[in-house]
Amino acid sequence: MQVERSALLQDRKNEVMISVQNVSKHFGQIKALDQISFEVKCGEILGFLGPNGAGKTTAMRILTGFFPPTSGKVWIDGREFFKDPRQAKRTIGYLPETLNLYPDMRVREFLKFVAELRQVAGKKRRSHLDEILSRCGLWNVKHRLIGFLSKGYRQRVGLAQALIGDPSVVILDEPTSGLDPKQIIEIRSLIRELGRERTLILSTHILPEVSMVCDRVLIINQGKVVASGTVDELEAGLKEQHQIYVAIGDIGKKEDALNLLHSLEGAEQICITDEKAQEVGFSLIVPKGLDLRPIISRLFVEHQIPLLEIRSARLSLEEIFMKIVVDETRSGAAL
Amino acid sequence: MKNSWVLAWKDLTSYFRSWTGVLACFFFLVIAGVFLSLLVISFAHLSMEASRGPADSFQGLGLTRFVFGSFFLNIGTILIFLVPILSMRAFAEERRHQTLELLFTYPFSDFEIVWGKYLGMIFFFQILTLPILFFVWFVHGLGLTLDWGPIAFGFLGFWLLGCAYLSLGLFISSISENQVISAIVTFGCLLIFWILEWVAGVADGSWAHFFAALSPIRHYRDFTFGIFDMSDFVYFCFFNLYFLFLTLRAIETRNWKG
Repeated sequence: MQVERSALLQDRKNEVMISVQNVSKHFGQIKALDQISFEVKCGEILGFLGPNGAGKTTAMRILTGFFPPTSGKVWIDGREFFKDPRQAKRTIGYLPETLNLYPDMRVREFLKFVAELRQVAGKKRRSHLDEILSRCGLWNVKHRLIGFLSKGYRQRVGLAQALIGDPSVVILDEPTSGLDPKQIIEIRSLIRELGRERTLILSTHILPEVSMVCDRVLIINQGKVVASGTVDELEAGLKEQHQIYVAIGDIGKKEDALNLLHSLEGAEQICITDEKAQEVGFSLIVPKGLDLRPIISRLFVEHQIPLLEIRSARLSLEEIFMKIVVDETRSGAAL
Repeated sequence: MKNSWVLAWKDLTSYFRSWTGVLACFFFLVIAGVFLSLLVISFAHLSMEASRGPADSFQGLGLTRFVFGSFFLNIGTILIFLVPILSMRAFAEERRHQTLELLFTYPFSDFEIVWGKYLGMIFFFQILTLPILFFVWFVHGLGLTLDWGPIAFGFLGFWLLGCAYLSLGLFISSISENQVISAIVTFGCLLIFWILEWVAGVADGSWAHFFAALSPIRHYRDFTFGIFDMSDFVYFCFFNLYFLFLTLRAIETRNWKG
């Protein structure tokens, strides 16, 4: 079945699987989502980023049919979602952020219950369940009570539940939160494997996870899409700024160095990043096309500050994210 | 509709996965059994005294009316304690395990969820009431002649009363965050409905009529006498529908409450 699926996916590689158009969701006066639009292609792994309270969960809940949007439309696989939610829900598997499941049910029994609810045909049910159990690494615990499983295993049961009925889209809300590092690695590799045969939307606030797992990133803040693209594209978009790292070898000259850096035209967000023994490191952000490195080195030499290192640094996804979100919030506040 | 059955079956079995179901069955049967025995014994005393005294003071008081009429009325009171325990789990428990969110994303409608939850409770209640038939059979086995009509209506009335209470419990469970609150509030509401009958007895004029019409016990009493009045039947149907409707509305609030 997996082989069939990846073959099928190859054929449809560039088709649009999910299309969200001008979707808003209001809760009374609060606008949780404000006119968001995006598309997800077949077989893509989309990372959903945003600070807490940005509207990630609301967006996911709309995509899973938990509630309809206040306005706007959602298409899944060419069908309008809320015209026939029952049919649309069948194409979607969902793992909510917090999930305790039924502690008094056994793993297989629970998955069988889900299979019945998701209307997996009786004949196929048995083999389908067995396949999912072994894929999610649950074969050995299939007769255990869910309440007695560790959090990692419970998360796998949650994931297994999302795969029942073989949905073509799987939506995962913070799938690795609260797990230990070993479990995180296991779940991530499972997610990556799933991504080969399905369209995946992954919400997270763990940024390295996004660069590791996702093809494309969508950043939302205050209910709006503020950026979307691959990690490289996002970085390129922010290339009008870059970061310079400077290290000096005399802690006594820290203040002098800081004052010098502050006196430079175009330098922003100057801060001390590390201090150890005699060494002090600074970072500053400068506009693109303005390379301050020669000036800094000349100034430091003139003022007899021992310069150990000076380099232009790549912005990490964390910094990109912070930059986008902080800038947006600032401009929003200014309005 | 098949989905409702799947959900109902899961809920029914979940009563027996914990001690709730077993204990509820046990206590219900013990208390109902004690009530019945006391009634049979006191009937025996009364009829012995009656056989000594003047017979006409005892006209019209049959075994069925005396024993089973009171029996059904008494076990109706047990429901006030029993129903909160059965219904508290329905939605509050799903909410606690965060599985309610999951149910909403499965391919079925809100109505099917409510109906499934309701059916699950009714099925369990059904299992609980079946041994009452055994009680009847037992009394019959003592060699006493019974009037089957009133017993059948009493049973039907008890069943309708149970369903009505459960629908109220279902609604309260759907708006409570946790089981304990759900149980306490359900108990309180049932108590108020129970007290309505006294209020109807004390009030006068049209108020008395009003409270009597509202009181489930008043409507149930007719059944225990073996009287089938269409208005009683309609009352219980309406009671059920009303609270099922409110439950449906309550779970739809997620659309605007988030």
